Amino acid sequence: MSQPLLDIRGLEITFGRGDGAMTAASGVSLAVNEGEILSLVGESGSGKSVTALAVLRLLPPQGRITGGEIRFGGRDLCALSEEALDEVRGAGIAMIFQDVMYSLNPVLTIGRQMTEGMRRHLGLSRADAAARAAQLLTRTGLRDAAGTMKKYPHQLSGGMRQRVMIAMAVSCGPKLLIADEPTTALDVTIQLQIMRMLKQLRDDTGMGILLITHDIGLVAETADRVAVMYAGQCVEQAPAEALLTRPAHAYTRALMRSVPDARDHRATRLLSIPGSVPEDYGQLAGCRFAPRCPHGPECPWRERDEFIQAEPGHITRCAWYVGRADHAV
Amino acid sequence: MRCDVDRPLMELRGVSKRFRRSGGNSLFQSTFEAVRDVSLTVRRGETLGIVGESGCGKSTVARVMMGIERPTRGEVWFDGVRIDRLSQRALRPLRPRFQMVFQDSASSLNPRKTVGALIAAPMRFHGVARGAAARERTAALLDTVGLPAAMALRYPHELSGGQRQRVCIARALALNPELLVLDEPVSALDVSVQAQVLNLLRDLQAKLDLTCVFIGHGLGAVRYVSDRIAVMYMGRVVETGPAEALFARPAHPYTRALLDAAPSADYALRDRPRLTLAGEPDETPPPGACSLCRRCPLADDACLRHDDALRPVPGEEGRQAACARGMKDAASGIE
Repeated sequence: MSQPLLDIRGLEITFGRGDGAMTAASGVSLAVNEGEILSLVGESGSGKSVTALAVLRLLPPQGRITGGEIRFGGRDLCALSEEALDEVRGAGIAMIFQDVMYSLNPVLTIGRQMTEGMRRHLGLSRADAAARAAQLLTRTGLRDAAGTMKKYPHQLSGGMRQRVMIAMAVSCGPKLLIADEPTTALDVTIQLQIMRMLKQLRDDTGMGILLITHDIGLVAETADRVAVMYAGQCVEQAPAEALLTRPAHAYTRALMRSVPDARDHRATRLLSIPGSVPEDYGQLAGCRFAPRCPHGPECPWRERDEFIQAEPGHITRCAWYVGRADHAV
Repeated sequence: MRCDVDRPLMELRGVSKRFRRSGGNSLFQSTFEAVRDVSLTVRRGETLGIVGESGCGKSTVARVMMGIERPTRGEVWFDGVRIDRLSQRALRPLRPRFQMVFQDSASSLNPRKTVGALIAAPMRFHGVARGAAARERTAALLDTVGLPAAMALRYPHELSGGQRQRVCIARALALNPELLVLDEPVSALDVSVQAQVLNLLRDLQAKLDLTCVFIGHGLGAVRYVSDRIAVMYMGRVVETGPAEALFARPAHPYTRALLDAAPSADYALRDRPRLTLAGEPDETPPPGACSLCRRCPLADDACLRHDDALRPVPGEEGRQAACARGMKDAASGIE
């Protein structure tokens, strides 16, 4: 197998220093292959967004990468100079955020913002860049691309802004797109359109997508592979079909059973996980989900913290459900 | 007290609400209708779920029910009393009987008061209990919503989002209301905590014989706690009926589209056929036409002449939908 597009190994991220230091990610390893959608799923505070920000070295000033490596196209991004990294951002890796309003410049027209990156990274002329921008906007499902380019961000609806963001992100032909909760602020009918469009772009261009979300339903409908994060750790990783039909980790299972499904009638009671995600988890030994886990003190995986293989390509830190009669969902 | 069982506890009759758009000058200020000709009934002991996307008018409906907003047209009846023309003072004696829970628990709790003081405030205001009696009832309410009694001494910022929302529910229950209106109560919470609050609501419905209006954009959550559903689109109710039948056999393409777009954790449903709406909500649909017609893959020429009036769904008990075309030959628009 060829080497992955993005290869994160043993990533450690720490916020603050000295006694106040908090670990936001510990030992996160994951890889995104060309043309693949890897979904990083977890609740707020699980470390999924900081992991994504670290890839582009966009961590807030208090945050630091304190260990591990992030390889993209064979280069370690942690070791690159700011100038070299600038070349990777945009043309190599592009990122879209949940809060589009903060990602677009409010005083520049959409057209101006869209063409800026293409002129810089692709060396296009003003007219060529504008033509390509209009073409991309049309592909994202905007009816009036030319009119949209003359507008300012506040004149667009949330769904339109997110389409603009995606068109802008893919405009320089990135090999990897990092999408951090790209549809969380949008209505479900618009979310469906946007996710279809992202899949189509992946099919057409072969770019890899790192999709960060809290919504296990969105994962089930979109991802090729899934990595579940909890309390700063990746706890289970597998192809989507395996993870969603045979989850091994107690947390993955709990996450799936805590979401009400509109197709399911009221009969099945939701599994509610007691407590909430711990805020400081750097000092936890053994299974980090243990304090909230329904399986209690007799769980044999409680003291352990290493990955085991549940089946080929499917790794987990807890194997409570492996080989059990109630394994399948 | 509960004499007339057949009389709806809450009823909206032909309610419309028009707002001014912010900005612009006063001469040419434009207005928009957030809620258009909405009629809804909430019967005693049932939970009505109102579902729809942002801007559909569902929160305005909640605020009109609570007397926070006055309807521009139409009537609001609570237990046989028309309340939409009452002054706030005249409404006050009725207030204890209907209470509300908001989405943002952090901003609906005064940060300078303890949880105990917050829950006891409505009891003191309405003269129901004070002193030791209020403290005792506060402890009982905390227990009802699954929080330890010691939580009464904490301040809102010391609580997690899920705990704060429980405090809001406890406060809303403090006066033994007959009707509880919940506006997106779980939307701001993490999924595992959402499940805690949704289960709590279901337990409370059973234990306290509560009548609820549950407003949400997540179809799954709304279905989980509701007996009957009203689906709203662009200020109108486009479909209403018993939850099970409505979700099993949607009669309006918008309901079907919402259901198809709601992500499911069930991997087997990954590649299910979906009715997909085009574009974004259409602020100025053609006059006299169905408001969904430009987005609906099933729409034909006749849809340009149909209005959005609710019609009974043939062969379905207690169901109405605003689609004149219906879901017949729907396969062609579903991919």
